[in-house]
Amino acid sequence: MNTNDKLKDIIIEELNLEDLTPEEIEDDAPLFGDGLGLDSLDAVELVVQVQKHFGVEIKNMEEGRFAFRSINSLGDFIEERIAA
Amino acid sequence: MQPIEDNRQPFQRREWTSRSLGTRLGHHIFYGLIRFGGRRPAYFALYFVVFYYMFFRPSIRRRTKYYLHRRFQERKLPARFVDSYRMSFELGKVLVDRATVGILGSEKMKVTLYGRKKLLKLLDRRCGFVLLMSHVGSWQVALSALSFMDIPVNLLLEREQGNFDRHYFEYTGTGSPYRIIDPGGYLGGTLEMLEVLKKGEVLCVMGDRVSGSQKSFVNVEFLGEEASFPYSAFKLASAARVPIVVFFSYKNGPDSYALKISKIIRVPKNLGRSGKYFLPFVSQYIEALESYVQMHPYQFFNFYNMWEKKKDEYKRQT
Repeated sequence: MNTNDKLKDIIIEELNLEDLTPEEIEDDAPLFGDGLGLDSLDAVELVVQVQKHFGVEIKNMEEGRFAFRSINSLGDFIEERIAA
Repeated sequence: MQPIEDNRQPFQRREWTSRSLGTRLGHHIFYGLIRFGGRRPAYFALYFVVFYYMFFRPSIRRRTKYYLHRRFQERKLPARFVDSYRMSFELGKVLVDRATVGILGSEKMKVTLYGRKKLLKLLDRRCGFVLLMSHVGSWQVALSALSFMDIPVNLLLEREQGNFDRHYFEYTGTGSPYRIIDPGGYLGGTLEMLEVLKKGEVLCVMGDRVSGSQKSFVNVEFLGEEASFPYSAFKLASAARVPIVVFFSYKNGPDSYALKISKIIRVPKNLGRSGKYFLPFVSQYIEALESYVQMHPYQFFNFYNMWEKKKDEYKRQT
């Protein structure tokens, strides 16, 4: 399972979006606002879940702003941090 | 005190406003009185100003009744009118005191801190904490007295257009001694808040008022009826693994305030997304707030119906 697929599973399970399937989550769709419709507290939960499942810490707002644009950008962020 | 339910539905309209009641000129008259005569002439002017609002602006009186009718259920007219006057007058005094501290200096107000040892112990650990405050007493006088804390302090602060009241640090033009986090910023400022907590800094937030854009609240019994309270501070504390320090201030003399650390709440990590997991912790805070309003009934300053049931609310998850 690649990072993006794992992320989609985590979002569905941990953020309780059970009415969605992983296939319905587009890799480029925005995570917040009009895209998946996640809210600001979901961002906090996502920070926690990324650390829990991947051991990667999103340390500040700038990193979050970059990583939280979409599944693709979050996946890239995680892979870069693991590789570093 | 029974926690009731979790909702993640935005409020349909803004429930409260920070817009000033008076005009800019009115505020400057008070600032002038304070500058040239101290707080006493400003208090004296307050008697007439509050009298005017009580008699000629019934909407102001109406705004006090939501809380007062629940706090003093047995009261009838004219006692209710007197309560409303007292509550409005207390708010006026707090605003005058805040301006006094800003214009004449914090030494004009004596402040006693109860729980200093607990606070110093937390500060020594350098692990950061959430300072959970409420719209009671004067949180600004309280903050001005906490300047001994030698770690960065961040303040979640929303300001509306039309609010002429200055914060105490704005009178001197030296800028805020605290870093202000704007809840209207990226993702409601949550990532900034998480960042400062992880860095071991202090984050000051209000726990008793759900803002217009806030989606995350739980209903908890307060003064005999369910009211809505935000749980975002509790979620942040859980994510950053820091304690929550519940902190109240109250005016206890003509020129003095007391600050009290009421309790320290520790929220476990990985509680999950739903508000229901945070209910027990929000309830602990509300219990402390209820004790506060029993002791200081006229120093609670939420002038809107916080008990109003939200229409068309739905449970996104429970």
